[in-house]
Amino acid sequence: MKQRLSIILMLMLSLVAAPALMAAETIKVGVPLAMTGPYTDTGDNYWKGIKMAIDEINDAGGLLGKPLEPVRFDTQEFAPERVMQGADYLCGQIKVDSVHAGWAGWGQDVRAYGKYTAPFFADDGSQAAVDVFNEDREQYKNIFQLTDTGINQAQSMFNVLMALPYEYPNNKAVIITADDAWGTEVGETLKKNFKEKGWEVAMHELVPYGTNQWGPLLTQIRRIKPAIIHVEIVSAQEVITFFRQFMQRPTNSILSYGYSLVPREVVETMGTEADGLLGEVPTAMPTPEAPTPEAQAWLDKFESIWGHLPQAGSWAAYSGVKAWAAAVEAVGDEKKHDAVSDHIATHGYKGETGWWKWDEDHVMRAGGDVPIAHFQVQNGEMVAIFTDPPTRPYKNYQFQVPRWIKQ
Amino acid sequence: MMDHKRITMMLAGIWAIVAVLPLFFGGTDFIMHILIMCLIWSVVASCWDLIMGFAGIFSFGQVAFFVIGSYTSAIVSARFGIPPVFAVFIAGGFTALVGILVGLPCLKLKGAYIALVTFAVHMILEPVLKGDIGQAIGTGGTRGLLSIDPMTLFGYTFTTASPIPYFYLFFLVAVACSVIILLVIRSHWGTAFLALKDSQEFATCLGVSAFKYKLMVFALTSFLTGMMGGFYAHYVGMLSTRMLGIDLFVTLMVILVIGGVGKFPGAIIGAFITIAINELLSPLGPYRPITMGALVVILVLVLPDGIVGLFEKLFSGSRRLSPKGH
Repeated sequence: MKQRLSIILMLMLSLVAAPALMAAETIKVGVPLAMTGPYTDTGDNYWKGIKMAIDEINDAGGLLGKPLEPVRFDTQEFAPERVMQGADYLCGQIKVDSVHAGWAGWGQDVRAYGKYTAPFFADDGSQAAVDVFNEDREQYKNIFQLTDTGINQAQSMFNVLMALPYEYPNNKAVIITADDAWGTEVGETLKKNFKEKGWEVAMHELVPYGTNQWGPLLTQIRRIKPAIIHVEIVSAQEVITFFRQFMQRPTNSILSYGYSLVPREVVETMGTEADGLLGEVPTAMPTPEAPTPEAQAWLDKFESIWGHLPQAGSWAAYSGVKAWAAAVEAVGDEKKHDAVSDHIATHGYKGETGWWKWDEDHVMRAGGDVPIAHFQVQNGEMVAIFTDPPTRPYKNYQFQVPRWIKQ
Repeated sequence: MMDHKRITMMLAGIWAIVAVLPLFFGGTDFIMHILIMCLIWSVVASCWDLIMGFAGIFSFGQVAFFVIGSYTSAIVSARFGIPPVFAVFIAGGFTALVGILVGLPCLKLKGAYIALVTFAVHMILEPVLKGDIGQAIGTGGTRGLLSIDPMTLFGYTFTTASPIPYFYLFFLVAVACSVIILLVIRSHWGTAFLALKDSQEFATCLGVSAFKYKLMVFALTSFLTGMMGGFYAHYVGMLSTRMLGIDLFVTLMVILVIGGVGKFPGAIIGAFITIAINELLSPLGPYRPITMGALVVILVLVLPDGIVGLFEKLFSGSRRLSPKGH
């Protein structure tokens, strides 16, 4: 019994002591991402970008001569106390010098990490996060959003849907979104835009995550025969089941999946079956061909490391690490958090496609050198066909009328 | 079951140990935050244990009651300007009312059907809070509530920046709640719960009113859970329906299993052990839930009555071994 107890105690101590023993002359970087639960896949997308950036910096001799050491924290399902706990652990306990997250709490994270000074990068894409930031800009000056808000992304989706070289058979749209903050933000914006354009939003449904049986909704859709169906549920299972059940008796509708197209399983599971689906990625690296030689080199490197094209968030998270590292080098001291944040806010960062500039809300707004990329699945892979804003076709890649549309 | 004297002594021992923890961890905000969460979950789990372990009512609505209480307190304090210190009691009262409303149909049901009804409350709550009804009453819809006033008492404002005062506030609340639960278990209520749990027909023949006692236990546990939800809201300062995810539900169940179902104060010990193990396993990342699950399976097999069950065995064993007259 005593022996067993001592083994358990030793195991527990080793778990507690391990991080402390590794704490040599390193710069600690906090990485709060979902490692378990329903957001694991998106967490993994961000981690791949962050890891790639950290490895690159370390391979080049570290930052200010010191290696970067990532400290991960499992944000699970982003319950309020978990978000707060992550901030207290990484910034309060471990005292990291920067925090690189992805989806991080949609406003809860701004409050939690805004208590500390370490620069914090999130990919909330949420107006709620911006609203919290604007409550006290001085307090939250260490907060940086890597992507534009859901409202602006939805506006961009609408712009591209209207710019497609395709004649819609009618002016009826159906919007189906998840009942979360992201889904409602996108759904409401699209609805407003459709109405302003004189379209009829014949159905606007909010559904919970986990919806897999689409029969009742598809019956209504088949009666409506909309020209556009927009589905915004960022989870592969839901969008795959919707598509497969839709395809049993398809209508002449453009299927727009918005950000829901990006969980890697969608393309990996369906392959060419997904051909024709539309989607978007903010602060995206357009694929399969990047816009600049530097970006193409990054794309090739990513593919060689991870064995597939980058998912949403990978490049954004990568660029967050690089932007912070560039600011630290300019300031000359990773501990001068305020100066580093000020540098990022005022100077921005020159990345693979050009300049990253955060606006006064510390949001990386879409446009300039980092527009939103709009994709269509072609030959089983995501192909950038438009960038926005401004809305323009991407290189020579062209929209293809989906196979289920009978013209 | 342990005698009341031993339960009281054990409870006193637990709280005596917990009371001095800030001496060791007071300088580490992160650990203090975990300890505060342990205090919150210890009350919620104890309430669940009272209704499920002692009263034998398979209620799965405890997380829902906690969330109802947290939202009520936040809304009441924001909309009507009621100080949080009073808002938490209003939240408790409102949650008790909801508990009674949920309890009423459950009185006609047994076992798994009660679990279904109470879990339905859990399932319904999320769309209600996110939807039009929720937005109309001020839940913030899908965004949640991102600015909730902190607790203020006698002019002192509790903040997460200095967690020690917050710890002792929660400590006092947790002690008070556990004493209430202990008094209930020791009173004729506790005897009535056990009688109803063992054989409702027989207990009814003896004059124990199933209606009265079951409703009372719903009201009491909902009140305490809702009030604790209120304290949580003002402590964390933000709320979202993500609390209704499966994580918290499972955590509370594990707390009960580790502590021992129907083995008060097992839920309190279970809360501290479960949260500590969960945090220690954090470095394992995606393997944490797998490891945690495996540990729970092993614990259930080795210690079917939880930690308190183990203590009971040890005590009864030592009593058998000790010479007569000692």
